[in-house]
Amino acid sequence: MSVIELVDVVKEYKSGEELITALDDVTFQASHGEMVTIIGPSGSGKSTLLNMIGLLDTPTEGAVQLNGRDVTDCSPDELTEERRSEIGFVFQDYHLLPMLTATENVELPTMWEPTLDKHDRAVDLLGRVGLSDRLSHQPTQLSGGQRQRVAIARALINEPDVLLADEPTGNLDQDTGATILDELTRLKETEEIAIVAVTHDEQLVEYADRVVELVDGTVTS
Amino acid sequence: MAWRNLGRNRVRTALATLGILIGVVAIASLGMATAALQQQATADLQGLSNEVTVSAGPDHSHDGITADQVDDIETVTGDATVVPEKSNVTTLSARNGAETRLRVTALTKADAMYNVSRGQVSNRLRSGALLTESDAERLGLEIGDPVSYNNRLYRIQGILSSSQGFGGGRRELVVPMSAMAEQDHYDSVTVLTTSEQSVESLTTDIESWFNDDDEQIVNVRNFAAVQQNVDSFLGTLQLGLLGIGSISLVVASVAILNVMLMSTVERRGEIGVLRAVGIRRGEVLRMILTEAAFLGVIGGILGVVVSAAIGVVIFEILVGSPLDAFSWQSARYLLYGMGFAVFASVLSGLYPAWKAANERPVEALRE
Repeated sequence: MSVIELVDVVKEYKSGEELITALDDVTFQASHGEMVTIIGPSGSGKSTLLNMIGLLDTPTEGAVQLNGRDVTDCSPDELTEERRSEIGFVFQDYHLLPMLTATENVELPTMWEPTLDKHDRAVDLLGRVGLSDRLSHQPTQLSGGQRQRVAIARALINEPDVLLADEPTGNLDQDTGATILDELTRLKETEEIAIVAVTHDEQLVEYADRVVELVDGTVTS
Repeated sequence: MAWRNLGRNRVRTALATLGILIGVVAIASLGMATAALQQQATADLQGLSNEVTVSAGPDHSHDGITADQVDDIETVTGDATVVPEKSNVTTLSARNGAETRLRVTALTKADAMYNVSRGQVSNRLRSGALLTESDAERLGLEIGDPVSYNNRLYRIQGILSSSQGFGGGRRELVVPMSAMAEQDHYDSVTVLTTSEQSVESLTTDIESWFNDDDEQIVNVRNFAAVQQNVDSFLGTLQLGLLGIGSISLVVASVAILNVMLMSTVERRGEIGVLRAVGIRRGEVLRMILTEAAFLGVIGGILGVVVSAAIGVVIFEILVGSPLDAFSWQSARYLLYGMGFAVFASVLSGLYPAWKAANERPVEALRE
């Protein structure tokens, strides 16, 4: 069964007077233990699609299903809850908070819940991405690859079913990119999660189980 | 978390805190200043607030209150202390050639009317006299020295404390009643009410006893109205000063609004990330409000410390007892300042917090 599924999704938005169709009748799904890569030229709707999958945006038409549940008409607060429990994000620019240590950044999504102590899990996750010796370092004291690994650990703190990665290797050199991709592949297998990555990177395509190509808002392959 | 966010731009945080500090100092120290004025004014007026003064009115058949009338006043006023006085003006000269012109009051029951800062005051004075401090200094007189009035010598037995009644600039020599024996009538009669008696009702009683619609035999005055006027004036002054203080806190909260708005705009992408990873809107709101509240609390605490110091100085200067600054009358303004600071900070953090929390994460992440 697919973890996340988009059925006949259309996304339109207004830019000035013009009505732009960013996604036109897109159907997409990703399953546990699968890495799907979305490729396509800029402006093809990749980011919009990723926002739909990540429940950051709602479609104009069509349906979004998470673990078989229809979440299309959920309120923003309900979507926040879904993101919190089911979805992890990894961004191209890492987006770590500069004043927090690596461990605190990993704990960030759970920080507002005093009853929930994920400290041990955060330390464990950092260990799994090879950062056991960087627990108290601040992001500025870490290299790009290390930062991205902190971001991956953060994405996994709430044990999500889906991990979304927007150009995860975009700011990294070839070798570091490769280690990050090895990391993701390993996590995909051990954690049984679905990974959806948007990229320009040929290297990332090699690691994917499936590639979805988007042109002008429609899926071509 | 909120604390560390504030630490990220220390200069900005410090400036916002300074704004709050100044606001709190303005409110608290102005409030404390009026409290000091009020305390001083009340102390000054206390000696007068239980006095009713009776003097001869325009329709009086003599040039002063007669002994019979004094008896009448005693009858009307019951338990109150009735002090008839004769007064005159004289020039005192000292051996060193200094001269001073002052008022001479002759009375019995001097102990009910006067407080001395040095020496003592007895009921009838006998052959003793009381002199105001400034004149004693000018003439180089001390307790036990003789003064001459109407060719008779009196020995100074007490120095009048200068801060009694409106008597800052008072110059007075108090002598026994016998000193003015040749004067038939009393210039005035002071009635000192007991604590159960009301100054107003005694005033009315005395007036209705002596006067009717056509004839005003006596004038009766009291200072209750003066005290009320002073109190109401101080109340107005206080409101005005607190108003000025509040304006500065309003300015400070605009500064906080600006600081918080700037910092949320700067952190737009970051807040987008928070929202994306599942931080609820309420939690973002709480984080930013906490930052604003921190600014208010820090600024408030610093402001209270500075104001307390200023308060001590104010009370030292105006009242002469610095520790009175911590009496509730005055210290409550520290509390008001603190409360107002936190309230204003949270209030001005509200809009930036709301704005940050309700931004759609997609928009924020596009940064």
